[in-house]
Amino acid sequence: MFSRISGSFYRTAAWRLTLRSTIVFAAGSAAVFAVMFVLVAQAVRERSDSWLIGESETLKQVTLSTPEDSLHDRIVEEVAELATQEVGYDAAGHKSSNNIVFFVQTSAHQPPLWVGPGDSADFLEALDRQHLQERTPVSLKVAGWSFPFRVVAADMSPGSRVYLGLHDSQATTLLSRLLLRFILGWLAMVGIGFFIALLGLRRMLHRVDAITTAAANIGTGDLSSRVAAGTQNDEVARLARTFNNMLDRISASVNQLRTLTDSVAHDLKSPITSVRGTLEVALSAEDENFSRELVASAIENLDRLSNVITTSLDLAEAEGGALRLHVEMIDLAELSSRVFELYAPAFTERGQSFEVSVAPVVRAEVDLRLYTRLLTNLMENELRYAGEAACIRVTLDADDTRVRLCVSDNGPGFPPTLLGNLFQRFARGSESQGHGLGMAFVSAVAQAHQGSATARNNNGAQIVVEIPLRYSPLNHAGESAPAAFQEAFG
Amino acid sequence: MRLLVVEDDDTIRDFLTRALSESGFRIDACALASEAEALAVEGVHDAMIIDLTLPDLDGLQLIQRLRAQGVTAPVLILSARRSVDERVLGLESGGDDYLTKPFAVAELLARLRALLRRSSAHQPETTRLRVADLELDLIRREARRGDLELVLTQQEFALLEYLCRNAGRVVTRAMVLDHVWKMRIDTSTNIVDVHIHRLRNKVDREAVRPLIRTMRGVGYVLKD
Repeated sequence: MFSRISGSFYRTAAWRLTLRSTIVFAAGSAAVFAVMFVLVAQAVRERSDSWLIGESETLKQVTLSTPEDSLHDRIVEEVAELATQEVGYDAAGHKSSNNIVFFVQTSAHQPPLWVGPGDSADFLEALDRQHLQERTPVSLKVAGWSFPFRVVAADMSPGSRVYLGLHDSQATTLLSRLLLRFILGWLAMVGIGFFIALLGLRRMLHRVDAITTAAANIGTGDLSSRVAAGTQNDEVARLARTFNNMLDRISASVNQLRTLTDSVAHDLKSPITSVRGTLEVALSAEDENFSRELVASAIENLDRLSNVITTSLDLAEAEGGALRLHVEMIDLAELSSRVFELYAPAFTERGQSFEVSVAPVVRAEVDLRLYTRLLTNLMENELRYAGEAACIRVTLDADDTRVRLCVSDNGPGFPPTLLGNLFQRFARGSESQGHGLGMAFVSAVAQAHQGSATARNNNGAQIVVEIPLRYSPLNHAGESAPAAFQEAFG
Repeated sequence: MRLLVVEDDDTIRDFLTRALSESGFRIDACALASEAEALAVEGVHDAMIIDLTLPDLDGLQLIQRLRAQGVTAPVLILSARRSVDERVLGLESGGDDYLTKPFAVAELLARLRALLRRSSAHQPETTRLRVADLELDLIRREARRGDLELVLTQQEFALLEYLCRNAGRVVTRAMVLDHVWKMRIDTSTNIVDVHIHRLRNKVDREAVRPLIRTMRGVGYVLKD
């Protein structure tokens, strides 16, 4: 399998993660197996230890109860032989030559009594080397034997002891087999775990790859590309959904941009075309008055063009938060009255009535130029859309914290389709002759002043602009500019 | 009157030279700040028109250098930058007035004349303005056309006064908004036309010879 996997596979996250998780899994399961093995080994040893202790007690009793005569040694020897033979068979009753038992009885004034395999000297020497507590089995290494014996001691009289030793080869075999199976089992588990992790991760990361592919498609200009998110709600599915949402937003913005460029093309190219055409005709016109007329109309078109550009730039700055407000304390009542006076005759001329209710003095910190244009935009909006014979009402008042400017009319109101995105760029009604920037500008300026603009239909159109009386320059980098002036120019 | 025009755009420099020459000014024109400096220090110019974006030096720095060398002629700044920042910076740097592109020649001329007036000896304040048979009493705020007393609102009087003060010269809509309503705004609507129309109804209705004329594409002029 691995031969078919290309070299780049070893650089994938799937491979790395599989490797890591396998190592952790292998270490953890190895620890578990080790603990299990130690517990089993202990249980096995305890079994033989308890036999040793019980048998040594029996031998001790036999030794003590047997009279100290010529038959003593013989009887003890017999009993010990019996004891050694007791474990000399395996569970099936066959003689197990591997199980080896020895018995030693030492005493101060007699040579030790020895029952066991081989030469007793090595055993006695090993026993002398290590001091044994009574009834406490220990492992004892004996010269000439490759494996240690479990040995237990039993005290009789001072200077006289009984030692019983056992090498339980059956248990040893059992344990070594167990160890082998544990290792094999562990290897199988680790191997299977490795492949399961590898397959699972590859599947998971395959879905990530799908997202990468979709993203790459976008790089080549295909915005319709989407990722199958599936029905799950895991991390990758959420990533896929987030990615799809992002794509939706991007394609919406791109579409908006397309609309914008279309609008720019319309708003800029149309006047340019008409100016060019008009001037061409003027150039070849015989009648001087006629050509003058044409040139004048060309200039008017250019003015319109210039106005669109100015508004677009202002709006771009306002929306981008790049507007540097030059706030000053201004009596908005006085400014508004001046603007209303400017527009009042225009309303009258259209048969519209214009009612103004302005509080005596409304002092607030605003950018004069921007706020004036906000007002004129609102007025021009009413002029254009309130309709003939409409009644336009403007109120300006303030409480302790905010200025509230309300412009309403009893005209047809905003088209319902427009109401939701009235304050967006290039939002304009089907009947509109404007460039669709005016209301966006109103909202952008209100927001730049930390205020808001809202629109609704209330027996006609109603727009409310609210801005705080005091402008708090917190987080407004633009405020550093005047300070820089003062530094530079004293 | 001799003017120095510093503008790196050939088209604009040529049209400025032509338009200003036609209005009776003598023009020295150059494209570089270094040339401008050499010309300006001679001290022969009555006013300077300086574009802010020059290839070799920022227009503001040029103005500062000229002022530092004792050149006192008034400076009219031309710029494509529209922000208040720029306007303030320009005036702080020693400019006397500021005009953003695109602009009407009429407005350029008006601002230039205002600058030249300001720099020359102070003219006595007039209390009366007279154009043909139109007469304005600036103290009593009264206007007469021949024998006929004109009933004007405050705004109408201010508008008529502005036209009379510039009698014979074209004023643009932007200039009217700036001087009469104190608003520096662009408007694409006919808002100023409405006021002019109303004023004309009062001033010219009974008269044989109309005084207020519309220069299509440019603005208005009040002349005999």
